[in-house]
Amino acid sequence: MSDDFDPGALFQIEEPSAPAASKRAPGRGIGIDLGTTHSLVALAPHGEMPREVKDADGNDILPSVVSYVAEEVVVGAQARAAQVANPTRVISSVKRFMGRGRDEVGAHPYPMSAPTDEADQVVRFDMGAQRAVTPMEVSAEILRVLKTRAEAELGEAIDGAVITVPAYFDDAQRQATKDAGRIAGLRVYRLLAEPTAAALAYGLDQTEGGKQGLFAIYDLGGGTFDISILRLREGVFQVLATGGDSALGGDDFDHALAAHLLEAASVSTPTAGQREEALAVARSAKERLSEAEAVSVDVPRCGLSGFDVTREAFEALIDPIVRRTVKACRQTLKDADVSPDDLHGVVLVGGSTRVPKVRAVVEKTFKRPPLCDLDPDRVVAYGAAIQADILSGSAREGVTLLDVVPLSLGIETMGGIVEQLIPRNATIPIGARQVFTNYSEQQTGIVFHVVQGERELATDCRSLAKFELRGIPQLPPSMARIEVSFQLDADALLTVTAKELMTGIKQSIEVKPTYGLDEAAVDALVMESLDNAEADFEARNLAEGRVETGRVSLAVRTALEEVGHLEDLLPAAERELIVAALLATDEAMANASGTPGELKKAREHLESVSEAFARRRMERALLSGMEGKSLGEIESTLAAEEALEERRGSHTPQQT
Amino acid sequence: MDHFERLGQPRQHALDRDGLETEYLARAARAHPDKVDQDDASAKRAAMETSAAINEAYRTLRNPATRAEYLVKLGGRDLDSSDPSVGAPKMPQAFLIEMIEHRERVADARSAGADALDELREDVDGQQGDALAEAVLAIADGDIETASRQLVVRRYLQRLLDEIDDEG
Repeated sequence: MSDDFDPGALFQIEEPSAPAASKRAPGRGIGIDLGTTHSLVALAPHGEMPREVKDADGNDILPSVVSYVAEEVVVGAQARAAQVANPTRVISSVKRFMGRGRDEVGAHPYPMSAPTDEADQVVRFDMGAQRAVTPMEVSAEILRVLKTRAEAELGEAIDGAVITVPAYFDDAQRQATKDAGRIAGLRVYRLLAEPTAAALAYGLDQTEGGKQGLFAIYDLGGGTFDISILRLREGVFQVLATGGDSALGGDDFDHALAAHLLEAASVSTPTAGQREEALAVARSAKERLSEAEAVSVDVPRCGLSGFDVTREAFEALIDPIVRRTVKACRQTLKDADVSPDDLHGVVLVGGSTRVPKVRAVVEKTFKRPPLCDLDPDRVVAYGAAIQADILSGSAREGVTLLDVVPLSLGIETMGGIVEQLIPRNATIPIGARQVFTNYSEQQTGIVFHVVQGERELATDCRSLAKFELRGIPQLPPSMARIEVSFQLDADALLTVTAKELMTGIKQSIEVKPTYGLDEAAVDALVMESLDNAEADFEARNLAEGRVETGRVSLAVRTALEEVGHLEDLLPAAERELIVAALLATDEAMANASGTPGELKKAREHLESVSEAFARRRMERALLSGMEGKSLGEIESTLAAEEALEERRGSHTPQQT
Repeated sequence: MDHFERLGQPRQHALDRDGLETEYLARAARAHPDKVDQDDASAKRAAMETSAAINEAYRTLRNPATRAEYLVKLGGRDLDSSDPSVGAPKMPQAFLIEMIEHRERVADARSAGADALDELREDVDGQQGDALAEAVLAIADGDIETASRQLVVRRYLQRLLDEIDDEG
């Protein structure tokens, strides 16, 4: 049950050293949808409509696939193309591993490096060449690509990011996502629940006169399923309840169909390559079946060709999976105390909602056709971009988002029973306290086990962390009073603190996340990425310096050729200086081991000696009454005229 | 500051549910951590504290049963405390026996079928509502002892309802 809330007592633990404060940066926030099968980044600077950011080839969707085949890590379509040939070195669907322990991840094709000790639950993929990478690091590779892409689009460094997570993600999964962001060198403004992001993108806050509304968001992604009931009132978007399954998604459709194909090919023990191929074929068949009634498929490695799959057969295969989503929808409606008739709209999110069967089931469950005008693959990133714009300090009109914690949080007590401190669907931020006591005078320490879940026994819940409070004064049994405080922030991330009340002395607490990296390990990875970032920055600087210097040099050279011979524009002494500076610039450009600083110096010298020449050209152009044209246009026109005049050998006005 | 003050409500059991929600949403929106400079760590932390307190206040007050329990707590009886002088009052033997009998009725009804269970559920739910109504009347009279006893009865009945729902 709830304790009386006394905020004064809750926050006595010192803030961990905050990063150096920088001013807010309006318009420099980005929204990232870090998905199971694909990811993307969107921008909505200064109140603009959100837009996805494309790479140099014009693709915005980045397959969430990371290849460790070669020394250089490759992300995206290229990595996916390498997957069938290298199933153990190319990691896909890494989101399923986020915040998960070794015992929990199920079957997968990746070799893992040995645990450091018995208690070590952190997943580390063994990618050869001494590379052991955690799911956080794999995700960071994806985030890094998106960050770079956004920076290229913005033309400046980004300030921070909103990263979306399934609403149903537990604390460990959220923490892992935030750590991935930090490892990628991103300041994570906020972890935003995917359904809430979708609601923002749809502008549901603008509908119904922007006053009232009740909405369901059905989000079936590649590997996760979320259902959320949102209510809008008084400019506040409130999540009433959320539910789902963080290990259920469109990938399961692929697996069901792939298993069907392998069975049809009589392959009972497929090799990793055969399985990857069957999956790839299944994925493509699933997508085509959204339009077609039947498709014909080939799985060469399994000796299957011209095999027909009908939509009906596919729907029968996925029926049990779709049914599980309906069950979660009913439970969440009940949690929110809402009946389908009360709703004003149902929104579809996630690529898997393109499957006609899914749409039909949603329509039946919620008794209305779902909204699907926005691309279900992009809507989440759009919403994240809007919230990132708000949090970057833009003067954007926005609603307040009140989110909930998806799963109850508690502490294991005597006998393995969970004492619940924060119930599921409580609005965040929220805090709670509970007082524990000692059971013997000899006891000087107490171990706390923090768990998340709805079950009564700690072993049936997810283990989040264990920590030990040491240095408890030796007091008779039940006399020591140890107060444990839970604090959930607006990202639904948990901070646990403990102190002994009798002495009032602040005690040392060591928190060991069960499935994640501790603070020091994340910091080390952040530093590593910063080191790399510096090298990356240097390389980019040099490349940009070359381009800029080349541009200046070419402009001066062209001007010299066109009008450099006119004595009134360029005195001979000045001309000599400029030619010398041009030669020095060429030298600096040719020097392969040159630094960005040297290039810059040469460029600045050239600019300074040619400045007067440029100014005179500009004045002459203005005097010619040719405003509105670029200097280049003016000069080429003037040069042409002068050449003409010279040929005529006269200075008389041109005749018509 | 108590939960009532925090949400601008009179310290009484009868509250206008709609007005309570409107107040809550306005205050929650104003205090939200998103509304402060994201680089100002102390402002962010202060916003988190205030937001958490507002959310906790609303969670307690919006439900009539927890609201009554909170009023009793303000009156000096904390049902969650194990300290006999300020915690839940000791219940008479007769009541405990009655609860054991209730539990047996649940087992009987479960084996008798869904209709019997539904009927029992309705009966228990009625008693639970009556206990809360008694408690609310006692609170209005300033009789914290009676109110706290009625609320303990209500909790027992609520647990029974949860059990019926869980396995039903």
